[in-house]
Amino acid sequence: MTQRKRLSNVQSSSQSKRQSNSFMTQEEDEDATFTQPSTSQVQRGLEKLTPAQVDQKTAEVVQYILVKDQKKIPVRRADLVKHVVKDYRTVYPEIIKRAMRTFEQVFGLKLVEIDSKNHMYVLVNNLDASTARPSPVERPSNPKMGLLFVILSVIFMKGGVVRENLIWNTLKKLRVDPGQRHEEFGDVRKVITDEFVRQRYLEYVRIPHTEPVEYEFRWGQRSDMEVSRAQILEFMGQLHEQDPRSWTQQYREAHSAATASSSQASSSNHR
Amino acid sequence: MRKARAGGDDEAVRQNGSSSRRRTDQHPGDGEDHDSSSGGVQDDDDDNDLGLRREIRSKYRDLINSVQQNREDMLSPSNNKLTEVLEEANKLFKDVRQAREAALDAQLLVVATDLGKEKASQLFSEGSAFDPTAFAEHLLSFMGLNRLEDEDDEPPNGCAGDGYLPKDAWHRLARRAECCFRTAPSFHYMMGSFYTEPPPPKQRIERQRKAPSKEAKRIMPTQLKKMEESHQEATEKEVERILGYLKSYYQDDPSPISYYEFVIDPNSFSRTVENIFHTSFLIRDGLARLKLDSDKLPCIEPVEEGEVEAAGSFSRKQCIVSISPKIWRELIDVFEIKETIIQPPETQSE
Repeated sequence: MTQRKRLSNVQSSSQSKRQSNSFMTQEEDEDATFTQPSTSQVQRGLEKLTPAQVDQKTAEVVQYILVKDQKKIPVRRADLVKHVVKDYRTVYPEIIKRAMRTFEQVFGLKLVEIDSKNHMYVLVNNLDASTARPSPVERPSNPKMGLLFVILSVIFMKGGVVRENLIWNTLKKLRVDPGQRHEEFGDVRKVITDEFVRQRYLEYVRIPHTEPVEYEFRWGQRSDMEVSRAQILEFMGQLHEQDPRSWTQQYREAHSAATASSSQASSSNHR
Repeated sequence: MRKARAGGDDEAVRQNGSSSRRRTDQHPGDGEDHDSSSGGVQDDDDDNDLGLRREIRSKYRDLINSVQQNREDMLSPSNNKLTEVLEEANKLFKDVRQAREAALDAQLLVVATDLGKEKASQLFSEGSAFDPTAFAEHLLSFMGLNRLEDEDDEPPNGCAGDGYLPKDAWHRLARRAECCFRTAPSFHYMMGSFYTEPPPPKQRIERQRKAPSKEAKRIMPTQLKKMEESHQEATEKEVERILGYLKSYYQDDPSPISYYEFVIDPNSFSRTVENIFHTSFLIRDGLARLKLDSDKLPCIEPVEEGEVEAAGSFSRKQCIVSISPKIWRELIDVFEIKETIIQPPETQSE
């Protein structure tokens, strides 16, 4: 720890080549090479740069994140620093702050850190979906979202964790068999256990003591940010022709989460 | 109740384990009175014991397998299969003497309690229960499943299913589900990514090559048409014109005209050749007559209309006329031809 601290102190004095080399050598734990600079360090860093330079760097970060978000895979802070921010890492917090502001004001999007340990960001729509009118732009719908919706609904209605078999069996009833190639989704198992997990829509966790090995599904960190439990419950009510309130436990959970403005820390998740 | 029993069993396992170890330890050594008796009992039961232990172990493994394989079945709140399994395990446990069987018992316990936890979580919802099967059925209806009415007699299968799911089924669902998601729309450049340079020039080259060939083709037909015109109609016109000249000249002077004087154009050799060519048509058609006069020089005269057919029945002689520029000039000098009788056509065919 102390070694890292010393490095960050060196960093603040001047941005010499020696520093960047020492950062390059610590490649095993990339995140450790970047320690969040202190506010005083940021101040000093900003003094050495022109506003135009900082704006330019902010714009680059915004573009990088926008393109990375196409695949919906979270952006790692380490990648961001290594590929875009580079020498401006002393003023990284300022750049991120400005980027967040740009996303909100220009694009109507929110840049959210979904993993404070591994430092990963996702982009979420800042506009209120429930009151939104139908989009003026005709966007082709992605059938994978339908699939994801089914899985997330089952997990939510079942209390937040389900064993994988329940999901596979439910999907089989919908003519989606993980053992067969689906004409719409292709390799179903891969989409669900790999793609959705990498996108952080789902968590696919091994259950201990199971023989043969079994996994369970939970909501992913991105789903916590992006998906509205209350809306899911509404749709449930429509499908089953029941009042959403009849599912009291889920209703309570959905609306407590909503009031906490879908921030991760809030609701009583069965974790 | 079950839990307490399980807890009790746990402790029993430990006790049994240690006591069984004690027995085996003491067995080879000097037996005390009570131990020797128990040791004696063990001696007799040794063979039975091995068989019994194997049986116990196999039964435990069966129980564990049945719990693992029939998970869904055991989870169903409609039966007490889990309780039955635990009761079986309790019975088996009474005969457990060695650590090996006890370990199997412990394994069964882990699996069973896992299942127990799952069952307890089923009691989770104080409100309505949520049944994934019903959910799936409702979804299928929503997605527009066409349930075929003929298959009412057949029991519906879970996976194979009756009915036909439309192609856009999942799209329909996705669209409805969109409102549950606050997905950021993905960013794409409106004009797509940039293309590298090479493709456009290739296209241009192709177009350029195509264009000339098309024009060339177009030129060809028009040229041909013109030539054909000049061949057929122009020739006919010329022949008629020349006949006109011949007749008008003959009217003025009704004696045969010197052939050479008639055809030769002192100004142009090529026109002379043309005149000979056209005149030959007149002779061929019998509209003019060539004969040798008193000087043995050829002369031409038009044939009277009445005579045309009569002349046709008589013998027709053929001759080949040839002329070269040298002869043409000599003829001009000899006959002192100053001007042409056959005027050149006003427009050239080329």
